Formats: sequence, C-alpha cells, structure tokens
Amino acid sequence: MTSTTLTRESGTSYTLSGNALAWWFSDVWQMTLRNVRHVLRSPELVMFSLVQPVMFILLFTYVFGGAIDVGGERYAQFLLPGILVQMALYGSAAGTTIGVAAEMHEGLMDRFRSMPMSRTAVLIGRTLSEIFRNVGVAGVTVGVGLLVGFRFRNGLVPALAGLLLLLLFGYAVSWFATYLGLLVRNAEAAQAVGGVWIFPFTLISSAFVPTGTMPGWLEAYAAHSPMTAAVNALRALFTGGPATSYVLQTVAWSVGLIAVFAPLAVRKYGSR
Amino acid sequence: MSTATTTDSKDLAPVSAESLAALLVSGERPPRPSALSASLTFGWRAVLKIKHVPEQLFDVTAFPIMMVLMYTYLFGGALAGSPKEYIQFLLPGILVMSVVMITMYTGVSVNTDIEKGVFDRFRSLPIWRPSTMVGYLLGDALRYTIASLVMLTVGMIIGYRPDGGVGGVLAGVALLVAFSFAFSWVWTMFGLLLRSEKSVMGVSMMVLFPLTFLSNIFVDPKTMPGWLQAFVNNSPITHLSSAVRELMAGDWPADEIAWSLGWAGLFVLVFGPITMRLYNRK
Repeated sequence: MTSTTLTRESGTSYTLSGNALAWWFSDVWQMTLRNVRHVLRSPELVMFSLVQPVMFILLFTYVFGGAIDVGGERYAQFLLPGILVQMALYGSAAGTTIGVAAEMHEGLMDRFRSMPMSRTAVLIGRTLSEIFRNVGVAGVTVGVGLLVGFRFRNGLVPALAGLLLLLLFGYAVSWFATYLGLLVRNAEAAQAVGGVWIFPFTLISSAFVPTGTMPGWLEAYAAHSPMTAAVNALRALFTGGPATSYVLQTVAWSVGLIAVFAPLAVRKYGSR
Repeated sequence: MSTATTTDSKDLAPVSAESLAALLVSGERPPRPSALSASLTFGWRAVLKIKHVPEQLFDVTAFPIMMVLMYTYLFGGALAGSPKEYIQFLLPGILVMSVVMITMYTGVSVNTDIEKGVFDRFRSLPIWRPSTMVGYLLGDALRYTIASLVMLTVGMIIGYRPDGGVGGVLAGVALLVAFSFAFSWVWTMFGLLLRSEKSVMGVSMMVLFPLTFLSNIFVDPKTMPGWLQAFVNNSPITHLSSAVRELMAGDWPADEIAWSLGWAGLFVLVFGPITMRLYNRK
C-alpha cells in the first residue's frame, strides 16, 4: 500500500496512508455531490441559472446586435464567448459567495467541522460543484448561441479546449468567491459584496463591445482585465486567430487565483 | 412585612357619575381625516422610512449613477461613435429605465408591511381605505424625483446638454414621475398577491428587465429585426422614453405624451381597483 510522509513546520512527521488519501477523495466527492444535489433540488436556482444566459444572448443579439459594429462579423459570433465567461463567473462568484456565507451563518459549516472528515474537502467540494453547474450553463448558452447564428469555426479540439479553459477560469474565480463568502457575516451581506464587484468586472471587458471603442482610460483597464483575456482566448479558440497569448494569460490568472485564494480560504475556514 | 396604605373616603371630594362620564367620554369625536390628509400622512410615513433606513437611497443614487457611467462609456463608442454623442441620446432613456426599475420597491415595501402586521393596524383606523396605498406611491414619487435629479446632475457633468432648458427638463421629469406613480400600482398588486418580498422582486425583475431593454432606451429600434420593432415601437416604455427625450430636447411630442399618459391612466384604472380589492380581502 502506498504512503505519503508529510513533515510539519515543528519537525514532527506523520504518514498519510493510501487509505487516508482514499478517504480524502471520498470526502471531496461526497461534498461535491452534496452541493450539486443542493442546486438540483432548488428549482428556482436551476431556472435562474438557465434563463439568465438565454435572456442575455437574445437581448444583446437582437437589441444591440444591429447597432454594434464588430468588424463585419456577426454579433452573435462575437458575443457568445463573452456570455459564456460572464455566466460562468456569475454562478461561480455570486452563487458561491452567497452559498458559503449562508452555510456559515446557518451553522452548517460548524457541523461539518465536527465530523471526522477533511476540512479542505468542504471547500474543495463547494468549488468543484461549480464546475458541474458551469457545464450545464455552458451547454444551454452554446445551444441558444447556435440558434442565433454562432458557429464553432475552428474545429472540435479547439472548441473543447476553450470550454475546458472556461471551466478552469470559473473554478479559479470560485476560490476567490469562497474566500469572500467566509469573510462576510451573512447571506444578505454576501449578496451585496458578490454583486458589487462582478457586475463591473464582467462588463468592463471585451465581452460585449471591442475594447478599442472605449475611452482611453477605460480601455487601459479593459484591455488588461483577466475577463478580457478569458473572453479573447475563447473567441480565438472558437472562431480562429492567435490564441496562445490569451490562453496563457487566462491559465496564469487561474493558477494565480487558486494559488492565492485556496490556501487563504482553507485557513479562514479553519479559524472561524 | 407589608404595610397597606388606607385612605379615608371622607378626605376625597365626592364624584358624580355624570361628571366622570363627561371627563372620560369627550362630547365630540375628532373629525375624520380627509382622503388627502390621510394620503399625505402615509406619504410622510414613507419619507420617514427613508430617513430611518437610508440604504433605500442606494437604489436611487448609486445604481442610477453606475448605469449612466457604464452605458455611456462602455457602449457609447460602439453605438454612437463617442460617449459625448451617445449621452445626448442615452440620458433621457436611462433616466426612464432607472426610475421605472425602482417602481418595484413599492411592492416590496407593501409586502414587508403586510408580513410585519402593520397593515392590520392601519385597517382598524377610521380613514379612507386607499390612503395607505396612495401614501406609499406619494413617498415613492419623491424617490423618483431624487433619482431623476441625481442622474441629470451626473449627465450634465459628463456632457449632457438638454436643448429644452429648465422647462423641458422639468416637463420630462414630471411626465416620468406621473407615469411611474401610475405604474407602481402594478407592483402594489403583486406586493399584496405574493407571499414574500423575494417573490415580488423576482416577478418584477422578470417583467421590468425585458420591458426596459426591449425599447428605444439604448438604441434606435430601426437597427433591430422587423419582428422585434413591432413590439418595441408599441411598448409603453418606448413611448415614455421618446416623450421624455423630445421634451428635454425642446420639442413638444403631443402623440408620445398622449400615449404615455394613456398607458399611465390604464395602469391606474386596471391595477388600482384590483389592488384595493386585494387589500380589503387581506
């Protein structure tokens, strides 16, 4: 049987057997399933998650599409990657922040802490469940996108790579959202905090209009926003064009967010 | 040990039953307040609620400012060539959108008061029945005016110049507040009909979001597909937006004003009685 030896800062070492690792994976999986079930058993959450992207696509395509010039391209082709990233972040950010804060406030997290299970599993399960939610939302978004004229013009492999990148970016942001949820007192405060930053963060980007049409001072921010990097990466992977730089930027932002906020969140969870 | 204090009855002046009755029961009941007086009192109550819960003002200050800045600078270049040009078209429309959006809080307030049981106490008072509802709407009319002033100020700072001058702006705001007052009756109905304030907000957002976006607030309907233009050109929000836009530009769009006031009248005639019927049955 495999075993891993871990050494603490104090110098004492202990062995984590393969069996313990299996338990850890089991804990993570159970917590992930629990969060997925929680979403599926809340019809209003499911409805909201699915109706929102449909509404945004139809609204922007038909209301703004004819008035916005995106260089001869069909607006639906330009818009869909932006909506995909926006919807992934709306769920991962606002949903996670509110969910974590509500469970802390209700005392559910205290019950989890009293159980013989890994503490990290609670938070990892929460963030992993967002991947499942984002898969569903992305499916609906792409489906509606195809109906209004969007097409994957760059082949199947880049399209799948783009969707995987989307899930990675959404997962990374959900760690930041988890940390925010642990910082605030209750669900109401979480709703305010979660909504305040996500709205401008997603809109001040290349999601809906080319950044070149914005005033200089706004373009300076929008062009270097992680949201813009993710949207441009998806756009290049779906439609064609130079993608490497944007993909690397998005991966770097994602890894950076996880590296910073996952330990912070776990530490905060342990100290609350 | 307890000591009982006794008072000799001969120390007290004799009291007749008649004089006691005269003291306890006033000969004249205070006059019943008029419909206007009662409505204004409840309107003042709504204003005092703003004083005690200042967070309410977030929706009439921060939200409209964010909307003006965001749409002007984000979409201005793409939709009109530059933010400076776009603000002339956008500001009256976004003014309409923001004020119409905050009408839903009337329903939320009504629902909250029902949950707290305050309405049961109001119903026991000898006042004109609709005054509680009218009071809410009068209080909210003040909020709509504040929102309008905030947005116009921000608009002027970033380059909006109304050719209609003060008169045109005041006429536009007056029309907008009148329409919003009428439109609020829709949400008072939902406030009485639905169980929780979350439900009221959910339903109102589902109605308001498409209604405000599917209009000429952001773009000229000519850029939209034909089937969508048919709806947009006949939407009450489009008529209101056009009327406010033209009034502020110094024109007098009689047909658009008539349409806006017609819709406002329809909202009051339809939803006013429904609201009062629901209120009386609660």
